[in-house]
Amino acid sequence: MEEPTVEVQGVWKRFGRQWVLRDLSLTVEPGEVVALLGPNGVGKTTLLRVIATLIRPQRGTVRLFGKPARALEAERGWIGLVANPPAFYRHLSGEENLEQSLALAGRPISRERALEAMERVGLPPGRAVAAYSSGMKKRLALARTLLGGPRLLLLDEPETALDSGGREELARVIAEVAREGAVVLATHDRGFAAEVATRSFAMEAGT
Amino acid sequence: MRALVLALRDLRLEWRGRAGLLSAFSFIAVVLFIMGIAFGPDEANLRRAGPGVLWVALAFAGSMLASRAWALEVENETLDDLLLTPGSREWIYVGKLLFLWLLMIVMGAFLLVLVAAWFYLPLSAWPQLFVTLVLGGTGYTVIAAFYAGLTVRLRARDVLLYLLVFPMILPVVLAAVKATLGIAFGAEFSEILSWWKLLGVFDVVYLTLCVLLFPGVIEG
Repeated sequence: MEEPTVEVQGVWKRFGRQWVLRDLSLTVEPGEVVALLGPNGVGKTTLLRVIATLIRPQRGTVRLFGKPARALEAERGWIGLVANPPAFYRHLSGEENLEQSLALAGRPISRERALEAMERVGLPPGRAVAAYSSGMKKRLALARTLLGGPRLLLLDEPETALDSGGREELARVIAEVAREGAVVLATHDRGFAAEVATRSFAMEAGT
Repeated sequence: MRALVLALRDLRLEWRGRAGLLSAFSFIAVVLFIMGIAFGPDEANLRRAGPGVLWVALAFAGSMLASRAWALEVENETLDDLLLTPGSREWIYVGKLLFLWLLMIVMGAFLLVLVAAWFYLPLSAWPQLFVTLVLGGTGYTVIAAFYAGLTVRLRARDVLLYLLVFPMILPVVLAAVKATLGIAFGAEFSEILSWWKLLGVFDVVYLTLCVLLFPGVIEG
C-alpha cells in the first residue's frame, strides 16, 4: 500500500506565548487535493510551513512521503511551496528567476524551457520581477511549479490576485500535480476550494 | 556546483542593485579620510597606523557586506526557497561565503591601493600584501558569513552581527595587522610567515566548524 504523502500527528506550534497550532492532525494521500479553510489567524500558513519543514513544531510528528520530515534531504526537492505573495528576486527577470530557482534545486533548465513555461502562463519575457503585478507573480509561481514538477504542492491563498484566466490555469496546474502527487492549499475562497479540492479541512483557532 | 551558482547569482543581484557595494565603498572612503586626517600629516605616524586602518576598515565594511549577503534573501523573501532545495544545506553557506569572499578580496585590493597612497604602505611588496589579504580576508568572511546566516531571521540582526562577529575575528584581525605591519616595515620573512601560518590555521579550523554547524543553525 502506498504511504500517505503527508502525515501530521498531534502537532503543537507556538510563536512566543501564542499557540497557533494545537494538537492538529492531518493526513493527505497521493492524488488528493486538500483545501485548508478558515478565517485569518487560525494557523493555515503555519501548518503549510510546518509541512514544508520550514518550521519545527514544539510537539507532534510530521512525516512526508513515509519518512520523518526532519530526515528529508533529497526528498525536499519534491516539495513545491507557493507563498503568498510568491517570493522572487526583484532585480532578475521572470525567466532568470525560473532558471536560477531550478538550477539551485539541482535541476537546471534552458532559457527556452523557462520562456515556454512563461508563455504558457501568459507572461511576457524580459521584464524584471520588480515591475510585476501581484497577479503576474502568481503566474510566475505557477510557471515555476510546472517546471519543478513537485510531488507535494503547498499553496498559500493561490487564487488571490489572479484573473479568471489565471484561476483556470491554476486549477489545471493543481490537477496536473495531483495526478502524480498531492496538493494542500490554504484559502478563504470556499467556491475555489469546492472547484479544485477533493477534500476540505476546516480549521478553527489552531485545530 | 550549486554553491557557485548561488554565489554568481548573488553577485549579479548585487551588481544590479549595488546598494551593498556602494555603502561599503563609501564607508571605506570615509574611514580612510577621517583616519588620514587624524594621524597625518607625519609620514611615520601614517605608516605605523596604515595596517591597523586597513584591517579595521575592511572588517567593518566586511560586516556590512556579510549582512547584505543574507539581506538579499530577506528583502526578496526567498530564504524559504533556498531551504527547500534538496540535499544537505552546507552548500548554501558555502555559496554565501564565496560571494562574500569575492567581494572582500576585490574591496581589499581597492583598499590596499588607497592605504598605500595615503598611509605609505609599500606596494612594491604587493605579493606579500595580497597573500595576507587572502588569508585574513578568508578568516574574516568564514566567520561573518556564518553569523550573518545565524541572525538572518532576527529583527536586531545588524546590531547582533557586530557583537557576535568581532570577538570571534579578533585573532584574525590581530594576526593580519601584525603580518601587514611586518611587511610595511620590512620584517624578516620568517616572522611574516609565522603570522600567515596562524591565519591559515584559523581559516581551516573556522571553515570546518562553520560548514559542519551551519545546517543545524539555519533551521527554523
